[in-house]
Amino acid sequence: MLPKFDYHEPDNMRSALELMSSLKSNAKIIAGGTDILVNMKKGVISPKYLVSLGKMKELFVLEQRKKGIAIGSHVIISELAESGLLWKNFSVIAKAASVLGSPLIRNRATIGGNIVTARPAADLPPALMAVGAKVELKGKKGRREVSLDEFFLGPGKTVIRADEILTKIIINELPPFTGGDYMKLGHRKALEIAIVAVAARVTLDKPQGIIKNVRIILSAVAPQAIHAVSAEKVLINEKPTEKLIERAATLAMQDCSPITDIRGGAEYRKEIVKVLTKRTLLNAVKAVNRKKVKGER
Amino acid sequence: MKKLITLFVNDKEYEIAVAPNRTLTQVLREDLDLLGTKEGCGVGDCGACTVILDGRPVNSCLVLAVQANGSQITTIEGVAEGQNLHPVQQAFVDHGAVQCGFCTPGMILSAKSLLEKNAHPTELETREALSGNLCRCTGYQKIVEAVQAAAKTMKK
Amino acid sequence: MKEYSIVNTRLPRVDARAKATGEARYTDDLSMPNMLYGALLQSPLAHAKIKNIDVSAAKKLIGVKEVVTAKEASPVRFGLSPARYDETMYCSEKVRYIGDEIAAVAAVDPETALEAVSLIKVDYEELPAYLNIYDAMAEGAVAIHADFPNNIGAEVHQEFGNVEEAFKECDYIRTDKFVNKRQDGAFLEPQATLAHYDFNGNLTLYTSTQSPHYIQRIIAMVLNIPVGKVRVVKPYVGGGFGPKASASTLELTTCLLAMKTGRPVKMAFNREQVFMHSRGRHQFYHELTTGVKKDGRLVALQNTCYLDGGGYTSFGIATIYYAGSLLGAPYKLPNMKYDGYRVYTNKPACGAQRGHGGVAARAAFEQQLDAIAEEIGMDPVEFRLKNMMQRGDVTCNEFNMSSLGMKECIEAVRDGSGWKNKKGKLPKGKGIGMACGFFVSGAGYPIYRSETFHSTAMIKLSEDGGTADLYTASAEIGQGSDTILAMIAAEAMGVKYDDITIHSGSTDYGIDLGAYSSRQTLMSGHAVKQAGEDVKRQVLEALAEKLNVPVEDIDAKDGLILFKKGNVDFSKFRTQYIKEHRGWPEQPGGDMLTFKEAARIAYLEKGVVVGGGAYKPGELGGSYKGAAVGTSPAYGCSAQVVEVTVDMETGKVTVDNMTDAHDCGFAINRTNVEGQMQGSLSMGLGEALFEEVKFDGKGKIENPTLGEYRIPTALDMPNVKTIIVESDEPNGPFGAKEVGEGAIMPTIPAILNAIYDAVGVRTTELPVTAERLYTALQEKDKDKK
Repeated sequence: MLPKFDYHEPDNMRSALELMSSLKSNAKIIAGGTDILVNMKKGVISPKYLVSLGKMKELFVLEQRKKGIAIGSHVIISELAESGLLWKNFSVIAKAASVLGSPLIRNRATIGGNIVTARPAADLPPALMAVGAKVELKGKKGRREVSLDEFFLGPGKTVIRADEILTKIIINELPPFTGGDYMKLGHRKALEIAIVAVAARVTLDKPQGIIKNVRIILSAVAPQAIHAVSAEKVLINEKPTEKLIERAATLAMQDCSPITDIRGGAEYRKEIVKVLTKRTLLNAVKAVNRKKVKGER
Repeated sequence: MKKLITLFVNDKEYEIAVAPNRTLTQVLREDLDLLGTKEGCGVGDCGACTVILDGRPVNSCLVLAVQANGSQITTIEGVAEGQNLHPVQQAFVDHGAVQCGFCTPGMILSAKSLLEKNAHPTELETREALSGNLCRCTGYQKIVEAVQAAAKTMKK
Repeated sequence: MKEYSIVNTRLPRVDARAKATGEARYTDDLSMPNMLYGALLQSPLAHAKIKNIDVSAAKKLIGVKEVVTAKEASPVRFGLSPARYDETMYCSEKVRYIGDEIAAVAAVDPETALEAVSLIKVDYEELPAYLNIYDAMAEGAVAIHADFPNNIGAEVHQEFGNVEEAFKECDYIRTDKFVNKRQDGAFLEPQATLAHYDFNGNLTLYTSTQSPHYIQRIIAMVLNIPVGKVRVVKPYVGGGFGPKASASTLELTTCLLAMKTGRPVKMAFNREQVFMHSRGRHQFYHELTTGVKKDGRLVALQNTCYLDGGGYTSFGIATIYYAGSLLGAPYKLPNMKYDGYRVYTNKPACGAQRGHGGVAARAAFEQQLDAIAEEIGMDPVEFRLKNMMQRGDVTCNEFNMSSLGMKECIEAVRDGSGWKNKKGKLPKGKGIGMACGFFVSGAGYPIYRSETFHSTAMIKLSEDGGTADLYTASAEIGQGSDTILAMIAAEAMGVKYDDITIHSGSTDYGIDLGAYSSRQTLMSGHAVKQAGEDVKRQVLEALAEKLNVPVEDIDAKDGLILFKKGNVDFSKFRTQYIKEHRGWPEQPGGDMLTFKEAARIAYLEKGVVVGGGAYKPGELGGSYKGAAVGTSPAYGCSAQVVEVTVDMETGKVTVDNMTDAHDCGFAINRTNVEGQMQGSLSMGLGEALFEEVKFDGKGKIENPTLGEYRIPTALDMPNVKTIIVESDEPNGPFGAKEVGEGAIMPTIPAILNAIYDAVGVRTTELPVTAERLYTALQEKDKDKK
């Protein structure tokens, strides 16, 4: 049963910001509700006010920009998983979206919610970080853009202020010869929160070339999604051979600090980091080498 | 404070006052007497509460009724046409896809939604579409067979 | 086999339409005017003395109509079996697990009831909590129940033959340990109740139950009401699987509050409470020592089992026997020794769950047999074929295999799965495994010592219409009993399937022990068949007299009357019928007399045409202690082959396909039998790979959700090739016996044996999560180096 609260549904962004500014930490935004309502039912949180931004249609739009895309924070996960545009240009995001929860959850959960709830095993943050995504935060006093690399502070904690609203996710177009993959290990094949997940993105200078840019994001093995820093380091400017990838995967193990919890043990998680890092890197490279035409991302 | 909302459920308009902390499951069952939507867990883990909300199957236990203001909702009661079962329902009946029946309304709605978007789903696509609806009785096989059979019927 | 019109077909279920349209009403769908809502206060501590309970604040809350504790409730002890009535409605002296009920509230709405519960103040004095069997049995441990100072709530020692001597003859002896985890029924519909007490002292309880009869008796006993004044009605039920077969404090509370307030009271568990109530599968610690001759002949088995039973006994008094007795078949085993100990721990009580005490034992045994077969160089299928029992064999613990299609099942899965082409030929990481199993077709004795019939049935023929109403107290919980009983009635009476309307699940309709131990097809089926034959006999006798034809020359089938010896002139009666139905647009015609017309004749003769049936098994079983548990009028058996793929880098197991053959004696409804097989297999797969109830250090369940207690989704369960074997059981109606529980038996070991085939690792602890298998694979590699 849900505790009692007051519900607001502001008509436009200005009144929404006004409201958030006055209610501050007494209010929480409700978007898809698949995280916040579960926690309210479990008695973990009990906000006095829930604010819905459902009337702000601009938050529900996935738009292609000149050099990249902007995804409204209230775009649902299903839409991401169904987006031909995403599969073509940012497949790692579409992949992560397609394995989140279940079809029923995906039809309500939003990209903004999956970011701002800052769950260590959330599916979208690692994929978004792999492509260098930024979030736009709007407050009464103005707007700011924050790279996702700097957005998370720990489980349930982000840099967003109590009076701010996450409005957009901005992703610049990726260089040519970029490939990515997201893999998640769960117990079952659906309805799973990752035991371990890895998002990898690799940019080569040309097909079969050397690595110019690599991001390996590890998930569920630290308080938030993190870069496998030493793995990334060892790959830069090198040819992505199987041996090197194996080495990077091994290094990734020391880049994380998993805990033992209800879903898995710390030692096991480290081993899986290695396996998934290797697999996603190999897939990312394969994806690049499949692209023969410059301009495909 | 209660909010006055309008829900379009099974093509019927309902104007009701609801407290913000009521879920769509509760309002459908308790205020509108549509008892076909079930609650198995209340937290989105099982799918027994599935309804179609603005064209998409969702866990109604995680939708506030106030969030559904102005929305089109289809519950299991809105699937048959009078005494005529929808092909998905008929297929469930014909293929042994129903045992205890508690997951059935949710399954049928997820399946119906699938077939409206994808008229020829593969077995894998069918299982994926139903992956948010748990069943403890059937092992899913006859449910999947029923959905595949319904797809063929609906093609005609 | 005989030619039947209705049974052995794939008729659609009688309740499928209601369920597929949302018309079916489950207990939580019911309501009554002026209804109150109840809520329970449950213990937050695993083991503690209660020093004081203060309900004053709760009572004062506006909207609260009643607050009850042990003081106001009955002190009468109850449980599942009279041998262990160790439960009371509410705790008075101490609490024994997190979730143990202490008090209850009735209020005008659920929110107020919950708020009132939160206002009840209880002072506890914590006691050491024993969360595993070792701590509970340790020297100096506090007794969880005063009557059992060493916390061993039940002990069983049985020996058949002479195991010690027999081991001396064996060429190969092997000892293995095996442990599973506590499991949960995880039915989709949480328990719910609605009670109504009228001003004449009649109590009606609507409840999501597997056995209205057992619940009725416990309510009458505990609340001190004559049984005849207690009516238990089972609405549609969303799955039971065992935990819903015993009376609960939830049910008793709803009744008590209804009696005290004079208003209907509704209650329901949320999902967390379902986990806290449990009454699901025990955790079993088995140690099996098995001896064979070098030619593969099974000689002796020594089985020691510790059951982690939780805070109360519930069905566990039977479980402890089944954990031993259910290894007596389906192989010839002349010597068997069993020592079982059920230990009280400070966790929710465990009970019966699909397959009961046989599932973990079977998993352990079948994996061990595979290891033995490998050691002596025998193919696992050949090993089973060599040792299997046949019809007419009797186990060492005196179970009579009146029919046993074990050979047919084994051959069917061997051939149906392509075993010979696959075993030993699959690449590393892919494996194929097999196993067998068997189960009772209804417990031979009721849970309370009694000469009672196990099932009764009544069929009332309509005065005009040739249709009939079948009344049975049996419980349709999703397994399809309503459908097969209607089919049996129709076949027995000689009418059409649609002519029968079944009314079930109410104690008003007679006696039926309910849906547990896989009994209803055989036992309720017998009673219904008798009732149907009784009605047919009465109709035919009336007809015979009126037509002046010997009754043995008349029969009824498919709603028509058959005159075996040439044509009989019934025109006079048709004319009379048509006269009585002047104005009807459709009148009976054709050259055959219809059952409808014959039924009318019977009514005009007798006024009331009611048929009755009553079934109880004959004397069963041996004379040793505990012989009753495991006896049955018949035994179902099955064999299964499973193929798996193991991701060797992560340890994740995928079950690729399953081939299952089940001997159900005779399939009353073929679709239903397949559905039960597939459902059983999915529960077995879940238990093999995912399911585990976890506790923290204080005894609190860590994963009381369907998100973290994982049952298979549609993507996790493969297709099952189902093969129905029909051995024609002489003790079953139309030759039918069970399928509902027996089918799960080979599942876990078939998966374990397939995993071994794939990666050379035997897991002796369930569930085989990716992490557990991964760790085992690492260990194996380490040993190699």
